[in-house]
Order: sequence, then C-alpha cells, then structure tokens
Amino acid sequence: MLRGLRGFFTGFFKIRNEPTMVGRLLMGGLCLGLIGFLWWLVTRGVTPEARIVSPAVLGSPQEVFGSFRSLWFERALTRNTLVSLVLVAKGFGLAALVAIPIGVLCGTFNRVNAFFAPITIFGRNIPVVALVPLTFVLANTDEGSKILFLFMACVSFVLFDATQIIAKVPEKYLDTAYTLGASRPQIVFKVLLPLALPDLFNSLRLLFGLAFGYIIMAEMLSQGEGGLGTLIYISQKKGPREHVYLLLFVITLVAYLLDRMMYFIGKMLFRYRYTD
Amino acid sequence: MAGKPKPAFFIFLGLIVVALVGFALWRMDILAPKGKSDNVGQIDPNELNKIKKDQPGGAEAPDDKAPTTVKEYKFVAASKLPPVKGVSNYQPLKDNTVRFALNVWAGWAPIILANEGLKPGKVWKTPAGKSFKVDLVLIDDPVVMRDKYAAGQVHIGWATLDMVPLFLEELRKDSRVMPRVYQQVDWSNGGDGIVARGLSSINELRGKTVALAQNSPSEYFLINALINAGVQPSEVKYRFTADAFQAATAFNSRKEIAACVSWAPDIYNLAKVKGNKLIVSTATANKLIADVWFARADFAKDNMDILEGLVRGIFDAMEELKLQDNKQKVAKLMATAYNMPANEAMSMLGDAHSTNYAENREFFLNQNNPTNFERTWDSAYYIYSRLRKVTEKTPFDQVMDFSIIKKLGSVAKYAGQKNDYEVTFAPKSVTAIKAESGEILTKTVVIHFFPNSWDLGKTITKQVGNRSVEELYDPNVKFVLEEIGKLAGQFGASRIIIEGHTDSSMKGKVSFDAVQELSRNRANSVKEALIKKYKSLQPNQFSAVGMGWNTPADAGDPDNHAKNRRVEVKIYPLETE
Repeated sequence: MLRGLRGFFTGFFKIRNEPTMVGRLLMGGLCLGLIGFLWWLVTRGVTPEARIVSPAVLGSPQEVFGSFRSLWFERALTRNTLVSLVLVAKGFGLAALVAIPIGVLCGTFNRVNAFFAPITIFGRNIPVVALVPLTFVLANTDEGSKILFLFMACVSFVLFDATQIIAKVPEKYLDTAYTLGASRPQIVFKVLLPLALPDLFNSLRLLFGLAFGYIIMAEMLSQGEGGLGTLIYISQKKGPREHVYLLLFVITLVAYLLDRMMYFIGKMLFRYRYTD
Repeated sequence: MAGKPKPAFFIFLGLIVVALVGFALWRMDILAPKGKSDNVGQIDPNELNKIKKDQPGGAEAPDDKAPTTVKEYKFVAASKLPPVKGVSNYQPLKDNTVRFALNVWAGWAPIILANEGLKPGKVWKTPAGKSFKVDLVLIDDPVVMRDKYAAGQVHIGWATLDMVPLFLEELRKDSRVMPRVYQQVDWSNGGDGIVARGLSSINELRGKTVALAQNSPSEYFLINALINAGVQPSEVKYRFTADAFQAATAFNSRKEIAACVSWAPDIYNLAKVKGNKLIVSTATANKLIADVWFARADFAKDNMDILEGLVRGIFDAMEELKLQDNKQKVAKLMATAYNMPANEAMSMLGDAHSTNYAENREFFLNQNNPTNFERTWDSAYYIYSRLRKVTEKTPFDQVMDFSIIKKLGSVAKYAGQKNDYEVTFAPKSVTAIKAESGEILTKTVVIHFFPNSWDLGKTITKQVGNRSVEELYDPNVKFVLEEIGKLAGQFGASRIIIEGHTDSSMKGKVSFDAVQELSRNRANSVKEALIKKYKSLQPNQFSAVGMGWNTPADAGDPDNHAKNRRVEVKIYPLETE
C-alpha cells in the first residue's frame, strides 16, 4: 500500500511511466474534484448577492443537481433521451446502410473511388450547420428533416472510413488468396470484408458518437418531437436554467455509456482482435 | 455435474429480473415519466379579471357620480420596489457609455435617432448636465439578451411588457438583476398579426394547427385573442418554431398548418396569397403589445440621473420624429443598423406607435386605464401561469417604477403633450358595420338580468339568518364590464357591437318587439356602463343592438334560459380592406 503510493509519486514525472489503475482513478478524481471545488467556490454565499457569480447566471452544484428530480419527472428525461437515440439510430443507420456497400466498392475498385471522391470531399469539408436549412427544405416533416440531416452529416465520413479500411487490408492476404485460386467475388466477400470488419465496427462506433452530438444540435435548432437538444432549448428559454447545466452531464454520460457498450460488443464479436 | 445450470442460464435469469423491475418502474411512471405538458390549464376568461388583487370582491353599490377620468396610484413612486442587496455587479461603464440592448423593431426609431445610430458617439446629458454615451447593442434573440443582461454585459434590456414575467423566472434569483421599467416606447401597431388559410375569425381556429414562436409576444397575442374569443388554448394545436419568421415559412410551406402568428412584413406578404387572410393584427388590437426597456436594479440604484436622461432623450426624439425630414434621417440610420434597404426601414416605421409622455402617464399612472401597465402585466401573468410557464407571481409594482414619469409632469414641455393615439369613430349603424366585413372575434359574456330588467346594478334583498341583506342580482357584473373594457381597450382600433339577447320563456305570450326592446335596452345599459367606467373609451366605438330571442346561445339547446339571457361582444375591423 505504502509502496504503491510511493511508486505513484516517484513515477509522476518519469516519462511515459504507467500508473496503476488506482493511480489513474485518483488523477481523474482529482480533476473532477478541482472543477467541483471551483464551481462551489464561485457560487457559494449566504445571500444570492454575496456570490462571486450571480445565481441568475450559474447555479450552485447543489441547485443544479437538486433539479434532477424535476428534469426526470417533469421534463421526461428518459423519454426525451429515447427520442434522441431513436433518431440518431435511424439517421446514422441509414448512412451506414448506404455508405458501407459503396465504401467496399470504393476500397476495392479505385475508379469507383475516384467517382465518389467529390462527394466525400464535399461532405467532409462542409460545416454541418450549413446543411440545416437545406434539410428543412428537402424533408416534409420535422422528424424527416432531422434524419436527413444526420444522414447527410455522416454519410461521407462513413464512406471515407470504409474506403480507407478496405483499401488498407494488407496485400499479402490477397496474394495468398489468389495463390489458393480465389475468384474475385471470393476475394471481396471472403478476404477483404471479413478482415476489415473489426476496424469497420470500430470506426462506426466512433462516428456514432459524432452523430449523437449532431442530433443534439439539430434538436436545438428545431423542436418537434422532443429530444435532449429540445430539452436544452426549452430549459434555456423557460428555465430552470439549472437543467441546461445538468443536461451537459447527462449527455456526456449517455454518450460515454453508449461508447463503452459498443466497445464491449465489438470485443465480443471480434474476440481474436482483442487477445492481447 | 449433472443439473448444474450453465452461465447462460444466470444471464438469462438476470435479464428477466431486470426486465420485470424495469416494467414495474415504467408502470409506476418512475422509469419514463410522461412529463408535464404545456397546454393543459383550462382558462376561464372571467377569471382574467378576478385575479386582480385591488378588486374588492362582491357587491358594490351603484355609483351615480361620474368617476374622474384619471385615478392615479397613491403609493409613493418606487416605494414598493424590492431593495437591491449586495454590491453592484454590472460591468462598469467604459468611457461613461451605457450598453442598451435592442432588437430589430420600428419602436426603437426614437432612440436610434437620439443616438444618431447604434454606435456610441453622440453625447447625452443627464438633467444635471453630466454627460454620458449610449451603445445600442443589437441582440435579436430574447434569451441571449436576457442572459447577457443577467451577466451584466448590457445594462438595459428590451422587451414587450408581456415577456418580462417570463424573464423574471430567472432574474428573480438575484435582486441586482431585477428589471425596472421606466418608460414605454411604443404600442405594436400592425407589427404583429395572425394570418390564416381559409378561415376568417379567431373562433374558427378551434381544432386547427397554428405555427408560432413559443414564449414570445406572438404567443401572448394568440392566447389572448383565443381567450377573448372563448376558445380554450387547449383546443388549438401548436407548431412551435424558433422565431416568428420561421413560423411564417412553416405556414407557407406546410398545408396542414392553418394559421401563423408572425411579424410585418411577412404577415402582409402572406395575406396577399389567394385564400389567406390576415385575421387580426396589432393595427386593430393596437393596445395589446407594449414595448418597454428595463434597467438592472443595481444599475438603476447607481445611475438614476442617466435613466432620466434616457427617458427625456427618447421623448424628445419622439417629438422630432413627427417631422418628415427626421423620419428620413432615422430610416437611413436604421437601414445601416439593421442592414436593410432604407425604403424598407421607412415603411417599417409604421409598425409601431411611439408613445409620448401623455400616453406614458396614462400607461404607468392611470388606474382607470383599461390597458395600463398593471392590467397588461396581470393579463400576461394570468395567461402564462395557466400555460405553466411561470411559477410565482411578482406584483407589477416590484418592476414598474413611475418615478421618472411622475417627475417629468412638472416639466412643461412634457406635461403639455397630448395623447395622440386615439382613433376617432364616426357613428355607424350596426347593419353597416356587419355588412362591411366579418367579425374578428365573438366574445360571449353572461350577465344575468333580473326578469324584465336592464339595470346592471339591480339589487335584490336576501334573508341571511334573521337579517335582510341587499346584494347585486349578478355580482359578476363588475368583472364582466372590466373584461369588456379591457377587450375594447386592447382592440383600440376596432368597432365593437354589443348584442343583447333574451330568453324565449315568454315566446307566444308577448310580442317580439317588446322582447327586442328589452334586449336592446340590456345591450345599451352595458354600453353606457362601460363608457361611464372607462372615460378613455369613445362612445362611438360601441354599437348596441337587440337580438331578442332569435339567436339562442346554443342552437342545440334553445330553451336553456339562463344561458340565453346574455350579452355578446363582437369585434369588427375598422375598415374593410
């Protein structure tokens, strides 16, 4: 115990020294504690007027976390979270469904890749907010416009990643397959795709996190069926303001949990990749 | 070992337990509660007036003496304002410059003229001769404005008076950011309106979808109109958009949206489309939406002299704006400030009516004014509390500070100003008014009359225990009159027809002429009582007509006598378009 503690400190400034699990948690906790302390410090005071930051601008930690009950029950936190998740699953699912087959083709045949290059260049360089007015015009319903927005925001990223991953499958596997007399479809379906699958899944996991951020933004811009973004918008307009800050925690937590969940699913599916 | 369950069994078992617990929590509304809906509260239009704390409940002996036109508040100016605690928390004035937030709106023309544009430069003077500058900061989004104001980045905020209660939900937390209202800058006069497709009156909005910006003057305008027309807000479906312009766009592009609440010029452009109609705008409801500015309480405490300088400067500019040259000058300034062509800025000027000193005095100080600060404030609170947008009510006198307005009454150039926002009504017959165009809305109010009587102050004697007590036959009369008075005030540029109705209990026994006369007398007595109560209302705005028993309140239930002994108030546009 004591030696572990000493190790933690002596190793502190050793370059690339790996701390223990406990040490890592300790540092993370320290960061959180520091932020919490600063927050508490600027929002404490006997009267509202004695605080460093006015309560009309930022509530104290107790006030913010104390509003959880009303966020959960009065603002229907779980239902709105579900709305956001369903939307993002639809929009992102559509993007993956379209982009992965095309990405496989692009990664396999360079001429197809050249054909789609302008679209990926456009999609990866356009600031997503700029797409919002376009999607409102193109889709008929609020839900439709948000799905379309997500689709447009994600499709070129998925396409690009899929292309890269397929193209990066080492040449030696292809050579071996050719030597064993594999046909071209066999190369694609038996060699390229299976080998790329773990990386593809991993890329989808990371992009899903991105899409989740986009949907919150889209919901803040147009409120139709609710969602976490709409909750932020409403809390900002109508109050309580505490909900806005609280939702930041909620969104981070949901995004993190989703990411971890997908990570473990990936680990289960492609166990051979995670043996070390 | 035989019979020992595999790990999969335990996982499966665990899932079942989680699912069952989850289902129970869901059924108990703990896991995924439905949340509070916005449009729930039923609104009783009669209550709109009963909430007033200064209304003595119950009967009041009929008063034959004509009330004075103006009855001013008796309390000492600013004496009811909540005290400012702690040290001032706003950003200090750099180079003596006040930061004043405003939006894109015609009503700001006077201050833009007085400041010669948005940028600080022109030197303003306090009454004592101290100089200061004004930086007009354009912040169109009310929420962003409120937050910057709360953070002290701007010292003065803009609002329509009906929006201030919504702001208070956050601002109430700190006595230093409590708003103080010193001056009304304008009445919206055609700037806001409701456009509908295939409908011609507010009453027809029942069951339809309306697009509008939530928590905005648009919402106040719509809900107020609905309530006045006897339509429950819950009977209408809403499509909320980020702002009024998007409401217009949504209405235009989606056929399932029957109406929208938006701003000029969009409402006029939309109304030109075939099949669309501008049902009502603030050109008719011309005393409904009041634009004001408010200062932070801590700023006001430290800088009363600057605030007085601002009030005077704005009033002076309103006078200057009566000259065509100055109108052109301000149109140019606004064109630069709002980034629009000068001719558009020029035509925008008509959307608001700047309220001069006389009108401000009426608004802040006259208790008998049906559209004064207090009544506007209370209506907003009533509507928003029923829509569950506000939690507790802050009394109007904790926000309104009439000290500057009262003080300027001793300055001749202000005291001499006249209220020039009166529409003159030429007498016109009911048939002519009805023939010209359809009504904007119909409000049914019920006044119970003693059989064969048209006396609103009719008293009856009741036995309570062993005493006999005299009380009004209908103790509601005062509230109903207040309600009609407020409606007439808000729709200051409309013609109002008061229809008297009788029950049909004597059908076949007396002649229709006699019944019609009784109903006409009832309508007339309402009209007379109104004019007597609110001296600022013009007799010619009202027409009284007797309908007899011809139109029962409910065609399906014509013999409901109590329901039928009533008065209906119909609002008609001033002129046909």
